[in-house]
Amino acid sequence: MRENPQSPRVPSEVSTILIIDDDEINRGILNHLFCMDYAIEEAENGKQGLEAVFQNRHRICAVLLDVVMPEMSGLEVLRRLKEAGVLEHIPVFLITSEVDAAIRQGYELGAMDVISKPIVPYLVQRRVHSVVELFQARRELKYRVERQEEELLKKTREILELNQGMIESLSAAIEFRNEESGGHVRRIHDITAALLLETDFCPGLTEDEIENIALAAIMHDVGKIAIPDCVLSKPGRLTPDEFETMKTHTIQGGELLERIPQLQHHGAYRYAWDIARHHHERWDGNGYPDRLKGDAITPWAQAVSIADVYDALSCKRVYKDALPREKALEMIRSGQCGIFNPKLLDCFFEVEPRLAPLYRH
Amino acid sequence: MQALARERLENAGIDVTGALERFMGNGVLLERFLKKFLSDPNYEKLAAAVDAGDQENALTAAHTLKGVCGNLGMTELFDLTAKQVAAFRAGRWEDAIRFMPNISLAYGRVIDGIKGLE
Repeated sequence: MRENPQSPRVPSEVSTILIIDDDEINRGILNHLFCMDYAIEEAENGKQGLEAVFQNRHRICAVLLDVVMPEMSGLEVLRRLKEAGVLEHIPVFLITSEVDAAIRQGYELGAMDVISKPIVPYLVQRRVHSVVELFQARRELKYRVERQEEELLKKTREILELNQGMIESLSAAIEFRNEESGGHVRRIHDITAALLLETDFCPGLTEDEIENIALAAIMHDVGKIAIPDCVLSKPGRLTPDEFETMKTHTIQGGELLERIPQLQHHGAYRYAWDIARHHHERWDGNGYPDRLKGDAITPWAQAVSIADVYDALSCKRVYKDALPREKALEMIRSGQCGIFNPKLLDCFFEVEPRLAPLYRH
Repeated sequence: MQALARERLENAGIDVTGALERFMGNGVLLERFLKKFLSDPNYEKLAAAVDAGDQENALTAAHTLKGVCGNLGMTELFDLTAKQVAAFRAGRWEDAIRFMPNISLAYGRVIDGIKGLE
């Protein structure tokens, strides 16, 4: 019965006053007072009144409620409305000729105001009008805020998508130099996300963090922009000197990212720097550039390192052809591309059957 | 509202000026509601409940009658029913029903006054 926050009412639709009074003459008098400015509905006892509120709760701007009535007293109606959370949205005015306990009880039950009978028309109109206007203003404000919130959320999503798009474009541009298609960065994103989301390699990461890590993974090779063409695109085997140059793309990647101040406020930054610098480290300490060993390598850098190797083996590169899946898996398993964390290997082979379709041509 | 009608109602114990105010000065509307009072069941309900010794219904009827009288400017009847309601509330049944003869008289005068409008 609660108001649904997902569907804010257009405030102008809320313009009905509900009069609940068992006496026709009293209803008539109140009806006459308000019929010029509002739509009026009448109910002749508490029970009917309660039903009318629940049926029309989105149209009713105020309830005028008699206290002493057959079927269900006004105070009981008030109590039920309070229980159903209606009083926050619809002001209820008790109309009573009592001067004592009922008034106090009415206020305690959440009546907006208590109007005594016989009514003084001018005062009743003024009091009801002001409260209705107050609620109306509040509804309009809430409505506007909700609209703006939606708008903001939409804009935020657009900015996030644009961000990701730009990061992908930059990274893909760098890959193109390497004569690889932009598909590489996309796949690294997906493989990293799958490893972290679908296995328990690194439990405890939230989905937001994983999304940031996957975004950061896209930038793992940005340092290659600083590697000369003759090395980067050399078809044959690299000389030891050339290989040393090639290895610097990890350090250069980290330094490049350090120089983008806007990125440093992004949730992906700390992952991006770490991944760019450490995605060639290996579990046994035989990787580069820092020769980190074991758990000194963060789980996300480890995840990207195996994703990078898997993708490189599975695709054609300037220096090699694409390997068949079995051969690629065998090379990873046997450590021919460096030693990986055994737990990471388990997790990788667990999720790999779902990754293989990425390479179907 | 015509002076004659006004005088007749005043004599019947109805505060026309006060009542008119409640109807935004609209005499036609006041008359329409006064005529509705002719078929308002609360006096009969009150009398029946008092005869039957039904305290709960007597209180409810007296209470509603009091409210209507107040709105229609029936000052005398309003004062009497207000006192009666207070007595019912206090559990003084005998005191409360002692108001009945005066309430009946005042009610009769109001009814006659309204009937005289036609």
